[in-house]
Amino acid sequence: MAHPRVDAIVLRAREAVAAAQSSAELEKVRVGFLGRSGELTQLLRSLGSLAAEERPLVGAAANEAKRELEALLDARLAATLETERRAERRRQRLDLTLPGRRPPKGSLHPLTRVHDEIVAIFAGLGFSVAEGPEIETDYHNFEALNIPRDHPARDMQDTLYLSESTLLRTHTSPVQIRAMLAQKPPVRIIVPGRVYRRDVADATHSPMFHQVEGLAVDRDITMADLRGTLELFAREMFGPRSRIRFRPSFFPFTEPSAEVDVLCFVCHGAGCRLCKQGGWLEILGSGMVHPQVLRNVGYDPEEVTGWAFGMGIDRIAMLKYGIDDLRLFFENDLRFLRQFA
Amino acid sequence: MKIPYRWIGEFVELGLDAARAADRLINAGIEVASVTPLAPDFRGVVVGEIEAVERELGESRDHRLLLCRVSTGRERYAVVCGAPNTKVGARAAFAPPGAVLPGGRKIAAAKIHGVESQGMLCSERELGLGEEHEAGLLLLDDGARPGADLVAALGLDDHVLEVEITPNRPDCLSVLGIAREIAALTGARLRPPQVKLRESAEAARGLARVRIEAPDLCHRFTTRVIIGVTIGPSPARLRMRLRAVGLRPINNVVDATNYVLWELGQPLHAYDGETVTDGTFVVRRARAGERFTTLDGQERTLDTSMLLIADPKRAIGLAGVMGGANTEVTDRTTRLLLESAWFDPSSIRRTSRALALRTDAAYRFERGADVEGLAPASARAAALIAELAGGAIARGVVDAYPRRRKPSRVRLRMSRVKRVLGMTPPRAQVVKILSGLGLPVKARDADLEVTVPSFRRDLSMEDDLVEEIIRVWGYDRLPSTLPGGAIALVSHPASLRQNQTVRRALVGAGLAEVVTHSFSDPARAALFRRPSGPPPVELLNPLATDASWLRVHPLEGVLGAIATNVRRQQSDVRVFEICKTYARGGGDTGTSEPRWVTIALTGARGEPGWDASVTLADVYDAKGLAEHLLEALGLRAGTGDAGALEGFEPDCHGTLVGDGGAILGEFGEVAASIRESLGISAPVFAAVVSLDVAGAAAPVPMRYQPLPRFPVVERDLAFVVGSDQALTAAQIESALRQEAGPLLRQLVLFDVFRFPDGRSSLAWRLLFQAEDRTLTDDEVNAIQDRLVRRVTETFHITLRSG
Repeated sequence: MAHPRVDAIVLRAREAVAAAQSSAELEKVRVGFLGRSGELTQLLRSLGSLAAEERPLVGAAANEAKRELEALLDARLAATLETERRAERRRQRLDLTLPGRRPPKGSLHPLTRVHDEIVAIFAGLGFSVAEGPEIETDYHNFEALNIPRDHPARDMQDTLYLSESTLLRTHTSPVQIRAMLAQKPPVRIIVPGRVYRRDVADATHSPMFHQVEGLAVDRDITMADLRGTLELFAREMFGPRSRIRFRPSFFPFTEPSAEVDVLCFVCHGAGCRLCKQGGWLEILGSGMVHPQVLRNVGYDPEEVTGWAFGMGIDRIAMLKYGIDDLRLFFENDLRFLRQFA
Repeated sequence: MKIPYRWIGEFVELGLDAARAADRLINAGIEVASVTPLAPDFRGVVVGEIEAVERELGESRDHRLLLCRVSTGRERYAVVCGAPNTKVGARAAFAPPGAVLPGGRKIAAAKIHGVESQGMLCSERELGLGEEHEAGLLLLDDGARPGADLVAALGLDDHVLEVEITPNRPDCLSVLGIAREIAALTGARLRPPQVKLRESAEAARGLARVRIEAPDLCHRFTTRVIIGVTIGPSPARLRMRLRAVGLRPINNVVDATNYVLWELGQPLHAYDGETVTDGTFVVRRARAGERFTTLDGQERTLDTSMLLIADPKRAIGLAGVMGGANTEVTDRTTRLLLESAWFDPSSIRRTSRALALRTDAAYRFERGADVEGLAPASARAAALIAELAGGAIARGVVDAYPRRRKPSRVRLRMSRVKRVLGMTPPRAQVVKILSGLGLPVKARDADLEVTVPSFRRDLSMEDDLVEEIIRVWGYDRLPSTLPGGAIALVSHPASLRQNQTVRRALVGAGLAEVVTHSFSDPARAALFRRPSGPPPVELLNPLATDASWLRVHPLEGVLGAIATNVRRQQSDVRVFEICKTYARGGGDTGTSEPRWVTIALTGARGEPGWDASVTLADVYDAKGLAEHLLEALGLRAGTGDAGALEGFEPDCHGTLVGDGGAILGEFGEVAASIRESLGISAPVFAAVVSLDVAGAAAPVPMRYQPLPRFPVVERDLAFVVGSDQALTAAQIESALRQEAGPLLRQLVLFDVFRFPDGRSSLAWRLLFQAEDRTLTDDEVNAIQDRLVRRVTETFHITLRSG
């Protein structure tokens, strides 16, 4: 299919491609042979002036030559461009150890992180979040929870009062009462929120801190269910090796009542600084909802039973992150907050 | 409450050491905070018998120095001693050479007044066992064996359990109560103290009378009479025991009542019998304003809710709280009236709190004393007094018991045990547990009938017994299951989702979330509110005056956080908080708690990088962040005039107004007076968004718009505004939009520049696009001409050329 006229052009073109030193020169070669007035283009355009029998021969050869040249140019161009890019990079001398340009970095407060985690775990178990006011009536905070006036149980929670009958809630438990008054059983709620005690701030006390209350009321809710639920919670929160321990205790609004400890996740019970050598960490109070509390909200304790628990978000955050002073949460030193970015 | 372990052992066989016993108690709900050895700080001190006084050595510092011969059974020592109570035949604390006294003071033979003293006879104080020193040597009973180790002779080879008893278990506020728990937990038998009372022929009834005028507050009042006592110090062993539990020894009579208080939990009070008129007790309410001097010497003013013990003439005791100075036992007392009574818990608690008078007696009465147990306690104390102080106990007890306790029985269904716990121990075990706790049990068909003794006031219903069963059986035996039943759809309140959205948006924008106290300092809050504004929410009993209000202004928290950081050399702060303020009015609490997001910035706009210069944050950062979070909530906002919140600089304060006209938020520069009061010297820019208003606003619905198919045409327009023209970018923009019509796709203010002469240049980029065709240059040029004409003519400003 070759044709001497075409061959001569191809030969020159090959030489020109071989001689080209840069992508710009290659581009010139392309224009010189394949451009609008390039040699090969001119040849194809002049086919009409050729003899009729020569025309298909030259035409076929020229077309093939065009494809070949295009392929050759593309391959050389790709290789040259790559070489040129690399040369350019070398010329720039990038110091890749310079810090990367990052988007601004915000941080969630550690209490929010723990709050969200707790809410997510219990949402997975069918618990919806409920809320209530921080300023409460004495009735919701105490009376309805079986803590009458002039009862020593009030000493367990030193209270900040606004008036004779209103106060800053000392626990999230009044929301139990509000929730049960507002709905019929079954109830499955958790109640995160701020609570207040008349305690002077130190490493382990604060006049304001955060709790999560849990409440489950239904026809056949048992203390064994409480244990199972809290075991599951502990494993989600503190890791699959977590274990919990129930200890009898007293809360006026639960009967039986239990303090719950989690096996120290630093030493796994062997004793360390975190658990003060005890092997266990106290994390929450709980128990079966007192029948009188159920009656107070119009539920029949023969019909339904229930359990409740209350845990300190701040306490759990301290344990989880190894924070040894409660006041750090509320000082909001950026060097503290940034550690939770 | 401190309980010496060996004391418990007097009432129950102790098969465990103190630490193990403490573990068992903890697992049964009796919190034991610590187990501490008594461990006195001396070694080698023994009981020494003073066999003879060899001779006098003369005076030293007002003391007659004697050379004594002291025997430790095997050996004899010549010891110089100046104590006033040195006497032949006495057994005293003796430190022979080689003994070590508190503080590491080692005893060796030493010359005193020219004579060698082989050791030292010691006082309480020298042994670190008490303050007593002037009275002289620490003397022991005549029964103490010479040579015996002093620690054992005083009963100090013991551990003290520090128990923390929950308010429902007053029965455990005693050695006997703890012994009863240990008996129930270990299966050992409880041996309550046996009282051998030797009474005289004279009947107490003839010597004392009791009249209860307030039977609602005093269900029972008893008195015994003891005649011919001699007041003096108690024996060393008893004094040591009182000290071990934290009580100060006073004299044999008061010590005896305190001892029985600790042992049995019943508060008792001994009156000097001669001072009680006609030996008659009247239990009555105080008169309004009645004054009474308690035995701590304080005169107190009473009211009619308080209960008094009186005689026919005057008040002699504040019932259940503290005795009176006028009837106190003194060194000259010979005749005693011994009160053992039951008072209403709430009344005692009110009185004790109102007078700020917290006593061991009140602590127990307000938790509930044992109305049946008070008589045995009285007998026990009388016997102990007779033993320590001599005297004759008159026959019988004067007992006024107008409200006799009714027997209390609770039916316990085994099915209920299972229903509550999800399991049940075998019935035989249940019976054993309850009996072990001192609760008599009878079978009633499949169920049990349990009699509740008077010392368990906390047990009144079936579930109370369920708890007793499981706490003794062991909480660790509870199975582990998950609640059954249908699960309703989990539905969280909108506020929770809003909070999460806000946090995600602002943390993503590089802000740090802060959490601050809800309290407010009135002095500072005054800067944040108009004096005529709504009243703040104040605390009745704040911890401190600078935390006596609840937050009145949403910015208080974030500004406090900025202040803290600036003070700690961190001058670039970008924070936000989701918080509440607290206001009067509304709801069943008479208050409301509006919710806010607050943003505050000071210093650099972002992290300084290696190729960019640091720029300072300004009001547009605050505004932009607020707009950003509103957008995250699905809301659009325009800019409005200065809003309602105090705390911003008047000329740098705007609002963000929602589509419906509601003010969603406010932004601006924080008033310099406020930040300066917080010690912040650099400007602070802030934004506040009301989550109540924003949360209630309808979000802009998400709707798909077809993507444009035709090319966009871009034009830039810059206008120059005169320095004296009160014209805003928003006004120009709105005119541009109006005039441009539907072909204007987008309008972006991309440059604002101020000339040195005060004029400013504002430049917009306009993007034109049609949905159905490619726009021609001519078409767009026509629009552009119209826009320029409209804006320059309306606002009298010029197009910036070049």
